[in-house]
Amino acid sequence: MKVLKVGVALVITGALIYGLNRGWNFGSPIPPLGKFLDPFGGFWQNAEGLARPDETLLLSGLKEEVVIHYDSLLIPHVFAKNDADLYLAQGYLTARERLFQMELQTHAAAGRISELLGASALDYDRTQRRRGMVFAAENAVKAMEADPVAQAMVSSYTKGINQYIESLRYKDLPLEYKLLDFEPEPWTNLKCGLLLKNMALTLNSGDKDLELTNALQFYDKAMIDLLWPDDERVGDPIVDRAGNWNFIPVTLDSVPLALPDELVSVPPLEKTTHGVGSNNWAVAGSKTHSGAPLLCNDPHLNLTLPSIWYVIHLQAPGVNVMGASLPGAPAVISGFNDSIAWGVTNAQRDLVDWYKVEFKDNTLSEYKSDDQWRPARKVVEKFKVKGSAPVYDTITFTHHGPVMYDNRFQQDNELKHYALRWVAHDPSEEIITFYKLNRSRNHGDYMEALDHYASPAQNFVFASTSGDIAMRIQGKFPVRRKEEGKYLLDGTRTSTEWQAFIPNEHNVMDKNPVRGFVSSANQYPADSTYPYYINATSYEAYRNRRINKLLTEMSDITPRDLMELQFDNYNLKAAESLPAFLSYLDTTQLNQAQASAYKILKAWNYENDVDSEGASYYEAWWDALFPLVWDEIREAKVILDYPTTYTTIKLLKEHPDLVFFDVLATPEKETAREVVQQAFVKGVEAIETWKAEQKKEPRWADYKDTFIGHLLQGLPAFSYHVQHGGNHDIVNASSRRHGPSWRMVVSLEKTVRAWGVYPGGQSGNPGSPYYNNLLNTWAEGKYFEFQFRADPAAYKSTLATVTLKPVAP
Amino acid sequence: MKFGVQLIGTILVCFVLQSFLPWWTMAVGAFTVAYLVGNKGPISFLAGFLGVAVLWVGMAFYIDALTHSILTEKINRLLPVNAFVMTLLVGGLVGGFASLTGALVRVKS
Repeated sequence: MKVLKVGVALVITGALIYGLNRGWNFGSPIPPLGKFLDPFGGFWQNAEGLARPDETLLLSGLKEEVVIHYDSLLIPHVFAKNDADLYLAQGYLTARERLFQMELQTHAAAGRISELLGASALDYDRTQRRRGMVFAAENAVKAMEADPVAQAMVSSYTKGINQYIESLRYKDLPLEYKLLDFEPEPWTNLKCGLLLKNMALTLNSGDKDLELTNALQFYDKAMIDLLWPDDERVGDPIVDRAGNWNFIPVTLDSVPLALPDELVSVPPLEKTTHGVGSNNWAVAGSKTHSGAPLLCNDPHLNLTLPSIWYVIHLQAPGVNVMGASLPGAPAVISGFNDSIAWGVTNAQRDLVDWYKVEFKDNTLSEYKSDDQWRPARKVVEKFKVKGSAPVYDTITFTHHGPVMYDNRFQQDNELKHYALRWVAHDPSEEIITFYKLNRSRNHGDYMEALDHYASPAQNFVFASTSGDIAMRIQGKFPVRRKEEGKYLLDGTRTSTEWQAFIPNEHNVMDKNPVRGFVSSANQYPADSTYPYYINATSYEAYRNRRINKLLTEMSDITPRDLMELQFDNYNLKAAESLPAFLSYLDTTQLNQAQASAYKILKAWNYENDVDSEGASYYEAWWDALFPLVWDEIREAKVILDYPTTYTTIKLLKEHPDLVFFDVLATPEKETAREVVQQAFVKGVEAIETWKAEQKKEPRWADYKDTFIGHLLQGLPAFSYHVQHGGNHDIVNASSRRHGPSWRMVVSLEKTVRAWGVYPGGQSGNPGSPYYNNLLNTWAEGKYFEFQFRADPAAYKSTLATVTLKPVAP
Repeated sequence: MKFGVQLIGTILVCFVLQSFLPWWTMAVGAFTVAYLVGNKGPISFLAGFLGVAVLWVGMAFYIDALTHSILTEKINRLLPVNAFVMTLLVGGLVGGFASLTGALVRVKS
């Protein structure tokens, strides 16, 4: 009897401990509750106060002591005595705040999300591997490791991250590891490569080759040029040097353009989202109040928590730089030092091509190239899947690149195989660019630094304390014949391959232009006399014109003026389209809600301010109109590309009888007038429904509802809704989920001054007050002045001082 | 009286163990204290349950107060039941059953 009782009690105790020490999945995953709730080791340990302790930590691999002063925003000011120690410290400090983010982003890049979330992510993971993300990262690492400077930099950074990972006990793990019940794996140089390729994927994976190939089946060439022009010819290009491109361009043998005759049935790849873009500009001293140049940058990306950026100040002999870094990559990416400042916007160029490959048979082992059969390379990819057995996929590589779609993946027709040629697959050494930019003293150094930069192509703005301003569009751009690479290419003919690249010195660039400023906002790069063929998925049409108009008008400019410009909510798109839309309306038959909307719209000043109701009505109208106009494209059986906003509005105004304005779902023949009217009814309906649900008036900030979501699928407990104006196509480009992920203003006076803010905080820990402490300042369009001093003694009265000391390995 | 001894003993022993070792070592602590004190089964269960529950919730309250509930509020939105209640139940149940086992092992047959 006793034995039985003891046995039962023991089994219950054991079962409880077992059951609470492991995770479960009943529809949704449950963390190991015993571990998770234990206040000595579980989530409670992740709660932090404002204070941070002064610490002395022993790190192996350090050569000398590194001192870090945290300021009140938790920005580390790192003082090292050599480069290796500097990057080791950067890796260590970044991991301390952002390890989960770094691991999740690199897992996502490498197609390893199924390991964390299970089989639901398998298609995503296979797509990542098939588009060659790991292949690209491996090539990047080979290039990095071949260069002694890059090698030392990346290896030190990796070492720093790993020292932090090794120091972790369960109670120190970032909260997300405890929630998802996994442990960090060692960092590698490859992960730095993956992180950079993830950026290339965000910024430079957009193309519409397959969509345009399908369009050739439905529309004639004139219609294609009308709907998807290479250059919309709107506003100023980034660089206008009409007639002054003084070089002899590289040319290719002339081959007649062969348009493909093919209906592509693959599902669409996720596109670079409409809200992704950026602004940057630099103003010469002749236009500023201080007489020194001013430089600004605000990259528009997915707004997440933790933020994509981590601000850091790095100082060692030969370098004193501060700005935004990417957790997972060494150095500062957008920032300033004591002589120069620089910033980036995306160059948009089409650097993705698709080749139709002809295989000898369905083993996919040999493929045709001109008159020969070439062997294909096969790579077997293993996918670990949480909660089930691993899955394998074989990826076939041609010399073009990986065959993304074949008989194993999302392709019902076994005869069609499409290989991906993407510039990000090529070995490159961007990390050297940032190493050198961080140390640049003048325009010459900046130019030399950019010579190392290949992908993702960016518009690099520059300003220096010596008074120069400059812009350079840098990337590795293939020389193309007109319209080549716009459609699916014939993979059996080498004549259509990338045969030469535009020499760096022929890239689009400008220095100290007469107008007194340089600027870029993802618009078309060069005037029509630039001798190389250029195309992209789309170029920006509104922000760039607004920025250039204001910069042209402004004089005696202060940093405050440029902060206001970054926060400018003027909706140029609305100013150009709303009067026409309103004139199309038949106002004699409006119901009460419509009449009231009409009145509000008539009186609206085109500002997408927080309190504006006109902005809400306009955007709701537009959101109804665009899909209604392009219903033919949305409902096509194969993928087609949507024309741009600018082209859509232009067609509505100038070609009201265009066939696309006829709505398929109705028997009547519609023109622009009717489609605009129908969209108005729908838009007002959308607002009325929203009002009924929310029980409030449609203020723009409420209706738009900018949301900064935690990286774990926007977990509501760790995410925030903020009150913010603007929208895509507006200088303050904050849409619902995208926007200015970093705002920076630098005054290049003798002593450089800089201001910045981003929607988040330095800590990635939802249990820290530094997780979101910059968020409201960002939302209000305010800035923090950065403490940028060369002397470590200036930081004595700071939040905390951390000393890293070398220890024998 | 012996109830109080077991209660305080469990809190102290488990506090020391958990300061250095994984969470489940508190079961070993609760078991040992229960065995040494030798209460009857149900009383031992209650003392063990309360001992670990007080320790866990006390520690949780301490952290919560120190950090102005910064994380508690967020975790409450993730959990089906309030974080303190769940912490109390999970700690208490494991502590209680470990103590019950300890008491039963000691009973003379």
